[in-house]
Amino acid sequence: MIYEVSHRTSYRYESTVTQSQHLIHLAPRAVARQTVQRHMLLIEPTPTWRHDFTDYFGNPVSVLGIDNEHRELVMHARSTIDVAARGPIDVKAGKAWDEARQRSGGRNHDTDLDVAQYALPSPATATGAAVLDYARPSAQPGRSVLAVAWDLTCRIYDDFEFDSQATDVSTPAIEVLRKRRGVCQDFAHLALACLRAHRISARYVSGYILTRPPPGMVRMQGADASHAWFSVWAPETGWVDFDPTNRLMPSDEHIAFAYGREYGDISPISGVLLGGGRHHVDVAVDVVPVVSAPRPGE
Amino acid sequence: MTVDAHTQERELDLLEGYCPASGAYDELVGPDRTPRPHWSTFLHALRRLTPRDRLARASRLDRQVRETGLVHDVFADPEKPQQQWRLNLMPLILSADEWSWLERAISQRARLFNAILADVYGPQRLLRRGKIPPTLVFGDASYLRACQGIQPAEGHLQFYAADLARSYDGSWRVIDNHAETPAGVGYAVANRVMHADVTDDLFSECRARRISTHFSNLQSALAERSGRGDPTVALLTPGPAHGDYFSHAYLARYLDLALVEGGDLRVVGDEVFLKTLEGLKKLDLLVRCIEGGKADPLELDPSSFLGPSGLVHASRRSPGLMINAIGSAVIENRALGAYLPGLCEELLGEALMLHDAPRWWLGDETARQHVEDRLDEFVIRPASEGTGRPGQAVRGRVAGVLSADERTQLIIDLKRHGEALVAEQRAGFGTMPSLTSQGLQQKAFGLRLFAAASSDGFSVMPGGLAMGVDAETAVALSTSDGETHDVWVMASEPERPHSSLWRPRLESALVQRSQRTLQSRVADNLFWLGRYLERADWTMRVIRSSLGRRLEYLESAPTRHAGDVCLEMLISKGAALSIPAGSRRVSGRSATLAGQLVSERDSTYSVINSFDGIYRVASLTRDRLSLEAWRTLASFRVDETWRRRMAEASASELQDEIEDKLSLVATFSGHLHENMTRNFGWFFLDMGRRLERAYNLCDVLHLLFHAGQSEDESNEHLNFILRLADSYITYRSRYRLQPMLPLVLDLLVMDETNPRSVAYQVAGLMRHLEALPQQSGGNALTRERRIVLALQTAIRLADVTELATVGSDKVRPALATLLRQALKDLPELSDAISRRYFRLVDDQPHRVVLRHEA
Repeated sequence: MIYEVSHRTSYRYESTVTQSQHLIHLAPRAVARQTVQRHMLLIEPTPTWRHDFTDYFGNPVSVLGIDNEHRELVMHARSTIDVAARGPIDVKAGKAWDEARQRSGGRNHDTDLDVAQYALPSPATATGAAVLDYARPSAQPGRSVLAVAWDLTCRIYDDFEFDSQATDVSTPAIEVLRKRRGVCQDFAHLALACLRAHRISARYVSGYILTRPPPGMVRMQGADASHAWFSVWAPETGWVDFDPTNRLMPSDEHIAFAYGREYGDISPISGVLLGGGRHHVDVAVDVVPVVSAPRPGE
Repeated sequence: MTVDAHTQERELDLLEGYCPASGAYDELVGPDRTPRPHWSTFLHALRRLTPRDRLARASRLDRQVRETGLVHDVFADPEKPQQQWRLNLMPLILSADEWSWLERAISQRARLFNAILADVYGPQRLLRRGKIPPTLVFGDASYLRACQGIQPAEGHLQFYAADLARSYDGSWRVIDNHAETPAGVGYAVANRVMHADVTDDLFSECRARRISTHFSNLQSALAERSGRGDPTVALLTPGPAHGDYFSHAYLARYLDLALVEGGDLRVVGDEVFLKTLEGLKKLDLLVRCIEGGKADPLELDPSSFLGPSGLVHASRRSPGLMINAIGSAVIENRALGAYLPGLCEELLGEALMLHDAPRWWLGDETARQHVEDRLDEFVIRPASEGTGRPGQAVRGRVAGVLSADERTQLIIDLKRHGEALVAEQRAGFGTMPSLTSQGLQQKAFGLRLFAAASSDGFSVMPGGLAMGVDAETAVALSTSDGETHDVWVMASEPERPHSSLWRPRLESALVQRSQRTLQSRVADNLFWLGRYLERADWTMRVIRSSLGRRLEYLESAPTRHAGDVCLEMLISKGAALSIPAGSRRVSGRSATLAGQLVSERDSTYSVINSFDGIYRVASLTRDRLSLEAWRTLASFRVDETWRRRMAEASASELQDEIEDKLSLVATFSGHLHENMTRNFGWFFLDMGRRLERAYNLCDVLHLLFHAGQSEDESNEHLNFILRLADSYITYRSRYRLQPMLPLVLDLLVMDETNPRSVAYQVAGLMRHLEALPQQSGGNALTRERRIVLALQTAIRLADVTELATVGSDKVRPALATLLRQALKDLPELSDAISRRYFRLVDDQPHRVVLRHEA
């Protein structure tokens, strides 16, 4: 499936901004099953300086500064990505999580650092008694890593309510657990906290998801949103994705843009401003399939 | 008694009662209680001094510490007792041989850590191959992922410091490593400067090594690093609220670096700029005294604005910019020690000379089990602590003395957060002599040594910071009494002549060099320093003139009346205070008012508020002050006890106090006047002073003379104002007449040659404004120059006879109009100056993020 993803963010500031700097993760990452065909990021006013490079986690990132006074800022990212469907996965197969874990921590043999670094809690996915309690029923000894992840995905979907008012960008997993509500970012953080409390390597994925209008309705322009889920590492399969917000294992309707330990590593746009006062922000996201091939099983 | 017998007796006195504790290695005496050979010259010199002389020197040293203001948190509550910095007269003396070994051992460690950092922030081969457990690094909050790949060509470390303890067998062990910041080297330098002042004769006699060469090498190394002969180097401090601000300011001053805070800097692309009066000025190097993780709100801790936004990216593009490199603190991890011998072989091909205290890293399953089984034997501490503050290392948790609940929590923490914890056993501390009123006493100590990169590898400062530790509870540099000692290193060969970096005679030249760039924030503080100094001076003059006891002139009731009127006016400024009711001209009334004007915090013009202001803003700019002015600064700290005493003081007590404080202000102003070069910084200080002086004089002139008075009253008022404005003698020498209003107004308002006149202040303001960099283009006059020009013109055009003329309603219309214009214009001028020159300071950065919704 080929998608055109458009993510347009515009800010209007109450007073003049004298300087602003931004760190931007709006470019798709080329990974297995995904080919990036085209990407461009337009910024208005034109940045004084801008550098594109690859961040610590391997994601494409832009850092830029605008040193002229401005009252408005528009960032428009447009990408074309080809996403292939994944093959079938048997979550029950594979080594037990408590055995698989031993492999990534040992001494004196080559360690896959990319796997090892995701096994430890991060600020938003810190461990606590409540996290361990919540994780316990899923992390039963002898279960495969993927089975633990799938069990968590289902339980979070069942136990938590979607509520965009309950939390904000900086809400840690422990707080989400107390509130029992949140958004995709929060559910991914909670799953990560539970997995990492047992030193299972898991990472945060940000990207987009194809949404379908209700039957009989036309797709509304700009009404899509950026999305987040998590990915877990199993010795047999490598990284496998899970989406607790939608209770599914992503295939070709999820488009991954960046990986990190948590939201804070890869937030789509973060910025530091001098001046500006309060601001108003408009976000318009469109995920449009450009080639609608017949879908197997539909 | 013969002279010899005297000496003999003193010798006995000196070491009597100096009993080595069992087991501990003592620096001064060996196991047989005879002094070690490298102490003999010092002991000999010390014996020549009488006990009384020794104590006198010790108390001089105490005074030095107090006056230098060590470890005085500027914004701390003055009523709260703080741990004082103390410096003992006894130095720690290290022999030339021992030093040469320590020097090699410390610089070996610095080289090793540089190599480790290059790998951790580079290819991570050591992690991949388990030479360092990956989770030790990944679980350490001071490992900064954003800095991966940033590789300064000269290495990550410019500064490295090690805390050492002497083990029972006499060998040294490392109890902590410091690689985040220069780790309090400013304290060590301050200790040396103060100690040398009191012991210079002993120091020379012992042929101990001086530290100035180390720092001049460091300065050359910085220049070399920047690739420029005359680089602009700044030291980035978290600011005066930070406990180590003293050390930062002292080091900046000693090395002639600009002392800056995050808000003074701005990153544009690859470069870091300093906000100065002339606009943005590019920095070549930035010495980092802030925590790495808090250095950039854009890519690191988003809640910290201690560093400017974009600093990580600037380092990514110019890796040599930051020293130490951001993220360097990861090698401070206490768990790393066990892996260093192997790493040293692997990376340097050398055997590690100096080992760390044995520790168990609790991220290792086997180690954790071992520790859990023998929990009571261990002290559990964080692997990574992040404070370089000397003496403040955490003591850790000792399972043996914990309550049942605390113990349970400890075991949970071991299991859950083992990666971030280490366990160790107490290995004891060596002892050294400390001079007390009871003679020499033994005390347990730790030692911090400081290394800095120079063109030919790392050099170690031949000195250091020795500090008393609490041997009962400490495993690292945790002090209970804050007592420190200077460290003397014996020279193996004669030293070259002494060269102090202070260069006292050349000081103004040095200041000139560094102050070509004046931060907007510093200009702001200097402007207010000028205002507060002048305000304190003026208020105290009013009090003195009004109490008037010591003045021989014209003691009569109406004069006191003029003083009271001024006192009341000043007290009421800033707050609607109730002036104590009471009949006029009652004896003692002036004293009550004066006491109030000294001690009332609600009154803007009270002496205590002005002193607080002086202390605060001068502390904020103390790297700009001369050493003498810096030492005077501590006397401006007035506390609650003083305030209460002043509120109840009698007239004569007040008068004595006012005389003292007036001479203090004069001394301080004198130091500023003598030692500051006439550059931009000086302009702002002087503008503050002139503006305040002009305003205060106009205020009192308006109060006393805007309406016509009886002849008697007028005479007394004229005498009063002449004395208050310090112009009585000038008047008498010029006119030899009784004071007459037109002549007095000419002298105090119009005369541009009288340094106390309004016209003189205005002319000075004009001169400074013209000399300052003009930020607006074109020929148009800036707002502040327009205000001054209008005022100057109004004064020049005024006619003294007309000014003195009383109108129909008993008012002097021309005088009232002129003075009101001044009283309106001068505050506007202050605002205009703030807006033009200090505005860059006011911008507060803030952060905006978008979240993943859906």
